[in-house]
Amino acid sequence: MSDKNDIVLDVKDLRGGYGAIQVLHGLDFHVGDGEVVVILGANGAGKTTTLRAISGMIARTGSITLRGEKIGTSKAPDIVRKGVAHVPQGRGTLPELSVEDNLLVGAYIRKDNEVQSDMEQWYDVYPVLRDRKDQRAGSLSGGEQQMLAVARALMSRPSLLLLDEPSLGLAPIIVAELFERFAMINKETGTTMLVVEQNAQLALGIADRGYVLESGTIFTEGPADQLINDDAIRKAYLGV
Amino acid sequence: MELFINRIFDGLSNGATYALLAMALVMIFKATTLINFAQGEFAMFGGFIVMVLVLEQGLPVWVGVILGMLLSAVLAAGIERTLIRPFDPSDHLPLVIITLGLFLAINAIAGIVWRFDPRAFPEMFPSGNAFTWGNASLSWYTVFTLVTIAVTAGLLTLLLNKTKTGLAFRAVSSNLESSELVGIKVGPTLQFGWAIAAAVGTLGVAVFVASPVRQLEPQVMVTGLIFAVSAAALGGLDSLGGAIVGGLAIGLVQSILVPYLGIPSELSLFAAVVVLMLVLLFKPAGLFGTAAVERV
Amino acid sequence: MAAPRLVFQAGTPRYRMYRIFGFTMLALLIILVAFAFNDTGSITLFDNDYKLSLTRVTKSISFMVAILGLQVVAGYTGQLSLGQGFFFGMGAYVSAWLVADHGWPWFLTLAVVIPACFLVGLLFGLPALRIKGLYLALVTLGLAAVFPSLILLDVLEPYTGGAAGKQVDSDLLPPSWVPLDGIVNALHSLPLVGGYFGEGEGLSNREEQRVWTFFLMVVLALVCFKMVNNLIKSRPGRAMRAVRDNETSAAVNGMSLSYHKAMSFGVASALGGVGGMIYVAELGIASQGDFTQLISILFIVGLVVGGVGTLSGAVIGGLVIAFIPDWASSTRSLPGIPERWLQGPTGGLILGILLIVLTFVLPGGIIAGVRQIRAKFIRVVPQRPASFGDATATTIDHPVTATV
Repeated sequence: MSDKNDIVLDVKDLRGGYGAIQVLHGLDFHVGDGEVVVILGANGAGKTTTLRAISGMIARTGSITLRGEKIGTSKAPDIVRKGVAHVPQGRGTLPELSVEDNLLVGAYIRKDNEVQSDMEQWYDVYPVLRDRKDQRAGSLSGGEQQMLAVARALMSRPSLLLLDEPSLGLAPIIVAELFERFAMINKETGTTMLVVEQNAQLALGIADRGYVLESGTIFTEGPADQLINDDAIRKAYLGV
Repeated sequence: MELFINRIFDGLSNGATYALLAMALVMIFKATTLINFAQGEFAMFGGFIVMVLVLEQGLPVWVGVILGMLLSAVLAAGIERTLIRPFDPSDHLPLVIITLGLFLAINAIAGIVWRFDPRAFPEMFPSGNAFTWGNASLSWYTVFTLVTIAVTAGLLTLLLNKTKTGLAFRAVSSNLESSELVGIKVGPTLQFGWAIAAAVGTLGVAVFVASPVRQLEPQVMVTGLIFAVSAAALGGLDSLGGAIVGGLAIGLVQSILVPYLGIPSELSLFAAVVVLMLVLLFKPAGLFGTAAVERV
Repeated sequence: MAAPRLVFQAGTPRYRMYRIFGFTMLALLIILVAFAFNDTGSITLFDNDYKLSLTRVTKSISFMVAILGLQVVAGYTGQLSLGQGFFFGMGAYVSAWLVADHGWPWFLTLAVVIPACFLVGLLFGLPALRIKGLYLALVTLGLAAVFPSLILLDVLEPYTGGAAGKQVDSDLLPPSWVPLDGIVNALHSLPLVGGYFGEGEGLSNREEQRVWTFFLMVVLALVCFKMVNNLIKSRPGRAMRAVRDNETSAAVNGMSLSYHKAMSFGVASALGGVGGMIYVAELGIASQGDFTQLISILFIVGLVVGGVGTLSGAVIGGLVIAFIPDWASSTRSLPGIPERWLQGPTGGLILGILLIVLTFVLPGGIIAGVRQIRAKFIRVVPQRPASFGDATATTIDHPVTATV
């Protein structure tokens, strides 16, 4: 039985960026087992960079431990094999491949024989994917691609799911459904989630805790319901 | 009329070689958007390996061909690991220069080791004609070259669509970052692409010089590359099926249009280049390529 | 521990003296080379005879100009042309034909060669450069491959001389007032090195022609280099480099990218043609075997070995591709290496390996290495602007603007 007090991801003094342009200036945060943690912030605050630093897509320094194992110097494919799945900004679908191939690719690191049954489960959750399973993934709508991206990420049965701005470019109804689904996945499978979002209200609605990022440092943090009611946050991010 | 039919068959069998070489170019282009200017030289070198294995080591022809393909695949994999992988895949300039350096170096090595006199290549296919009607004849050579492309295309398709490595290759060709994010190791996947390309290219040269009228020598693919590039561009640089269509089309252009338009045969190369220019002018994505062509 | 450094500030008289000293040394070197290399000497190493040949030096000048053209297109579009040999050959044949069949003076042929090559370059460059990617390389690859067969077309034979080539008698005779004999005899009387400068009997007609051609072509090449230098520093030049560095912002600023890129390819092609004219003026014959795909690739080798995006890189590149293949084939025996290996196209092998090694070790070419070494001894500090108070304007030393 997972203990919510176990730390899945522990990050200390994270620094990183793109060559000469350093974006992250020493971040400290953690995600507990089974939690949904949200990172909020305006454009350019470093939210996407933070996720990319965790999944090993950029050069970074600092201490990053995944269930006690240091991954701060590991490369992306190895980090994936340790149980991290990252849904990048913009979905990262493989447009020329079929929907089914996209899902299969998600299970690339798996060596067991339950891949097919997992895929069937996802087709049950998102029937539209089953309808289009042989179509080019690039022909799907934005919302459908987002579903595909999430399903693909979960095909690897990760213990930590990183979601980068899942609401970006999607209609509000779709986004609402999407976030309901995230909450359900978290509840049913206990998958730990770290979500980066600009849509603070929606994100905080499904989160346990949140951090607010500003110019590469953590501006404030706290339980989700506290952040929602915080006046400063409301003014800055909720436009209230 | 019968001359015309003969010409078609000639064009098809020439086209088969261009198709195989074009498929090699497409494999690398799909994965890296790079044109391997040394592809012809890889193939030529592989052809010499086959010749050595069969004529000097006494192996049966097809064993030699398969082994030669394997060896050239291994060499190409080695080249990818040492000379290509250290560079950022999105920065084309150093990579193009490396392929040009390989072009010069491999051509020179072949010239040093094997000299420049043309050599007879072992026959891969039964000689003589499969069918004859009047003056028209369909040689076994033509039949088998076409069978070879079909089989190669089939095997490649199976490899790419039904295996895990093939899936990884298609993923990397589609989106490098997303591929890394699902745990695909990009380097080894690209290496696989280079190896397959080299093997297919070697097969292409072998088929080309197995013809009773041709011989193997180090310069054999220097102009052959141009035909292959035109074929690949015509078919669409990232489409394997397009490479086959393009290769056969260029072969046909060479054998039909050139004589009928009264263009001297030296100009068949010119014809291929004209096709290339026209494709780039009017449909840069080629017949079957994905139109991810960014206009300036 | 810092190596001793000479520091010059741009704009000061001391700096000007440094530049004048440099140029004078260069001029002296050119004169010495002209007379020493005039087919009178050779160096022997390990039983191999390496000829010092002025003809080859002049050939290298023709290559330098062609490579200069490649610098222009690489510098402005970031792309490689694999077909400079096409324009080189075009310039060679056009000027050979005009001089041999119509009696034109050599330098007048440039009035035809330059516009013709420019226009053909524009014709092919415009569609190719409209698309991002290796399309220019593909198109130019095709051009280079096709050139020899075009020359061999029966219909063109009266102009090109077909397979035998177009023979042309170079009529570049020095005017009588130039004291070539006097100079070479004076050099011959120098102690120790005099032996390299002829026999003390003045120069034969052929030798005089060679020296004079060399000097003329040096001047022509200097003119080309100066013009390219001006182009780089001009407003359109700087604008074009902005294009190469960031196409989106340049496009948004209202520039027509493909037009400027095509123009730069036109300039590059024209320079290729000029190089071809120099080549055939020196050699006396234009033959299609000289203008195959190989020469196009050799030009790229020169471009990269010298240093992409630099003017002096073109000079080094031209020397490298003119001499290395020749020296490699003159090397018939080396201790420890079986002779059979040395009999093949070793020049090609050396250049191919050089290209690969440089990409790893010195991507900026030999020039980058030279500059690194030079920077240990000499430093040029930018000129202090007169009226900026505390702010020091730093000029960004963009490699394309720097000459030697």
